[in-house]
Amino acid sequence: MERSKIRGSSEFLSEDPLTESAGVSDRNEDVTSESWRSHRKHVFVLSEAGKPIYSRYGNEEALSSTMGVMMALVSFVQASGNTIQSIFTDDHTVVFLQKGPLVLVSVSTSRQNEQQLRGELLHVYHQIVSMLTQGSINRIFEHRKNYDLRRLLFGSEKVLDSLLEAMDSDPSYMLSAIQCFPLQPSSREVLDQILQKAVAPTLVFSFLIANNRLVSIVQEKTVLEDGRLKPSDLHLLFNLIRASSAFQAGEIWMPICLPLFNYNCYFYAYVAYLDPECTVCLVLLSTDREAFYAMADCKRKIEEAFVTLNALECLTNSQEYKVEDVVITNLRHFLYKPSNVFDHHRLLPQFTCPEMPVAYRTQEERICLMDEYRNLYNRIHRITRPLKLIYHSAEGETLLAWVTSKFEMYACFSSLVTKKSAISELTKLLRWIRKEESRLFICHIQKHSSTNQSGKNSSTDRERSNQPNASETGLLSLL
Amino acid sequence: MPESMIKEGILATDHTNADDQEEKKILFYHPIEIETNEKIRNVGLCEAIVQFTRTFCPSKPAKSLHTQKNRQFFHEPEESYWMVMVVRNPMVEKPNKDGKPPTVEYQEEEIIDSVYGSVLQQCYSMYKLFNGTFNRAFEAGGVELLIQKLEKFFYRYLQTLHLQSCDLLDVFGGISFFPLDKMTYLKIQSFVNRVEESMSLVKYTAFLYNDQLIWSGLEQEDMRILYKYLTTSLFPRHTEPELAGRDSPLRPEVAGNLLHYGRQRLDDGRDGFLTGPVNLKDPDAKFRFPRIIVNTEESYEELHLIVYKAMSAAVCFMVNATVDLSREFCEQLDGLVGPQLTLLASDICEQYNINRRSSGPEKEPQFKFIYFNHMNLAEKSTIHMRKTASVSLTSVHPDLMKILGDINCDFARIDEDEEIIVKAMTDYWVVGKKSDQRELYVILNQKNANLIEVNEEVKRLCATQFNNIFFLD
Repeated sequence: MERSKIRGSSEFLSEDPLTESAGVSDRNEDVTSESWRSHRKHVFVLSEAGKPIYSRYGNEEALSSTMGVMMALVSFVQASGNTIQSIFTDDHTVVFLQKGPLVLVSVSTSRQNEQQLRGELLHVYHQIVSMLTQGSINRIFEHRKNYDLRRLLFGSEKVLDSLLEAMDSDPSYMLSAIQCFPLQPSSREVLDQILQKAVAPTLVFSFLIANNRLVSIVQEKTVLEDGRLKPSDLHLLFNLIRASSAFQAGEIWMPICLPLFNYNCYFYAYVAYLDPECTVCLVLLSTDREAFYAMADCKRKIEEAFVTLNALECLTNSQEYKVEDVVITNLRHFLYKPSNVFDHHRLLPQFTCPEMPVAYRTQEERICLMDEYRNLYNRIHRITRPLKLIYHSAEGETLLAWVTSKFEMYACFSSLVTKKSAISELTKLLRWIRKEESRLFICHIQKHSSTNQSGKNSSTDRERSNQPNASETGLLSLL
Repeated sequence: MPESMIKEGILATDHTNADDQEEKKILFYHPIEIETNEKIRNVGLCEAIVQFTRTFCPSKPAKSLHTQKNRQFFHEPEESYWMVMVVRNPMVEKPNKDGKPPTVEYQEEEIIDSVYGSVLQQCYSMYKLFNGTFNRAFEAGGVELLIQKLEKFFYRYLQTLHLQSCDLLDVFGGISFFPLDKMTYLKIQSFVNRVEESMSLVKYTAFLYNDQLIWSGLEQEDMRILYKYLTTSLFPRHTEPELAGRDSPLRPEVAGNLLHYGRQRLDDGRDGFLTGPVNLKDPDAKFRFPRIIVNTEESYEELHLIVYKAMSAAVCFMVNATVDLSREFCEQLDGLVGPQLTLLASDICEQYNINRRSSGPEKEPQFKFIYFNHMNLAEKSTIHMRKTASVSLTSVHPDLMKILGDINCDFARIDEDEEIIVKAMTDYWVVGKKSDQRELYVILNQKNANLIEVNEEVKRLCATQFNNIFFLD
């Protein structure tokens, strides 16, 4: 307990993300060995010229001939006006993705479907863009096809390693949503206000993160009108920060590009921890490279306000909630993502899930559970034959996936559950979530106080109008 | 309705011998019109893909390649002989405004790998049934003989493949068994014994009634492919030849016949030999029995396939191919088998009608389901009204069949008992149950039902039709 308090309950990170753990690669691993071959998921990045850029396991230089073959396959198929997409064997799926001058390949035994694996490759691509910008990458290769991009990415392998590991066990990637820190709306408002008041001319975004969960987010109004901040960008931002600065006291100032927001320009991130245990992290994004001192100034204001209001207390004392809190017998874990609940929700898709139960504490078990969720997700969101509900009972557990116009939910029950009790537990769960909604999700995204007070956002494209609210029982009768 | 492109099958077999030139590796390629260089390129790509996947798993190389426009399936039925089938992805043209050319969208999700992978494997099995293994041909007459055999077989066989009607049943490759009471079954058994005793030349026998198997003396794998041949090629060709064709309309009276589980009727009045001397009365007519090869793993036997029919019953007699079957032999067989088989067939018919009457007249089967038992290959489908190589009439939307395919893929992942219940966008419920080696798929059109009600319905089905087989709640 004590230990978890110090390090933060990083449920989806292994204890030491940067050193000894199953996911971190040994760069000197022998690529001809059986153990290299038997990794769950390989990811390779190479240039159009076939030059190696990154390999999750093993030294990419040693893999240059394999990468050469991959590039050959890509260009061969391209030559006939076609595009190679994937190769299937009994155990492996090989997925290809070409983005500009980069080719990304995933070789996986995880039984994920093609679209998901390709989505992960896209994240890897975007993470690279977040460090270099798309414009630079394209320009570099335009001038020199044979350029060795590792020169620019030196030292950044750990960022990609960390991303790949997170994608395996963190549901945020699958759901394309953010998991927030559960907080009473009144407390959150207080924190929002603190951030809102600490402004500087080039400050665009302010984030407060505790235990890897988003606590508060404040945005500059005009920026918001240009485009929404997508969860994918936030994931990349948080991953970059985590991989380069986890648990480091002191201030960090680093450039970062948010690819889905604007893939050609850099923001500059000021990162500092507000507590000595390094669990509460402040991130300020500015458009000006020289704005370090202005950002540091904002941080000071925030720190002072924190001390005055004793704000750190509510952040370090709050815990993840457990499934047991909902008082349900057979339910082990769930993921819940509302779709149209709040207007502002569309601005920042969110989801909630409880702490991992005892049965899934090791990294391996977590990944297994996530694999099950991912399989459900694939099936239910399949483009040509989507589904509304999946109920899957197997010997190990019973899984349920459910998509309605109001939410999507994935749940894992013990295999002893009967259909009747599964339904009644779900009813209970949905009621509980509805009750706790304001605590579990960020309901309002604040604007910086230097801009208009209006909470409306005129440029978001409106989705089709909400359907009238069905009562819980009405909704559940569909189950 | 999106227009779907007719998929084409291209089959190339190559013997990867390091010393051979590229061109020599290609043993068969369809369509033949393709330029040699193009053929070599395509074969080269397949080789490269297989080689590449061996980097990660030396023992289990590539099974399929997905590209934007097509999908390729690989199968190595015998060491260093590779078969490749290329299927085009269905395309949909989406019209564009402002006079721009329509955008073409490829619908890759419509093709399920397990289905077409199985079709490719079946191509080999069918070839092997009539021609033996590649290796044997190569040993007997070198590459030339092998090429000859491949061309002769596949040129015709590929034309009968109707890829659009392939579905889950192709993954199973099962056999439909005819349900019989013990007495009648024993009668059939003793009939077979009698014939085999009096005609010692007969090595194996198989007994079918109306497209369904009752008894077989062959190994399971061999019977499986022989059954497919009989039910999708020989029987349709004989009884309702217009239905064996690709785009033929159904006769109205035939449609009536089909409704009863779609079992095809063989009783068109013409009895006697279906293979060999079709017209026994003509003394000058020449005849030949088709040859099949079975037990290729062990004894490698080549046999004459004699198929003899009386009313709705059909019996297969398999005789060693080294024996020369004369007209006298056929007349003898005709005399011995004819009357007994006719009697037996009417017995079965009577029993069948009694059963039907007791279970009540069914205009349409109450439950839409597909059942398959991996152990004895027994399959049963109340969804397919007609399934031959060229036609597949199912009473459910093709998307639902694909959902069944998806569930089957899920089942194949682990070796445990499982149950998957799914509610589709159209509010149809699909239930898949797997227990031991058996799989059951049920489609329910009960839009307002909930999970519990669906569960009850399926339980009821299992109680009536599959007593004590499926245990999961």
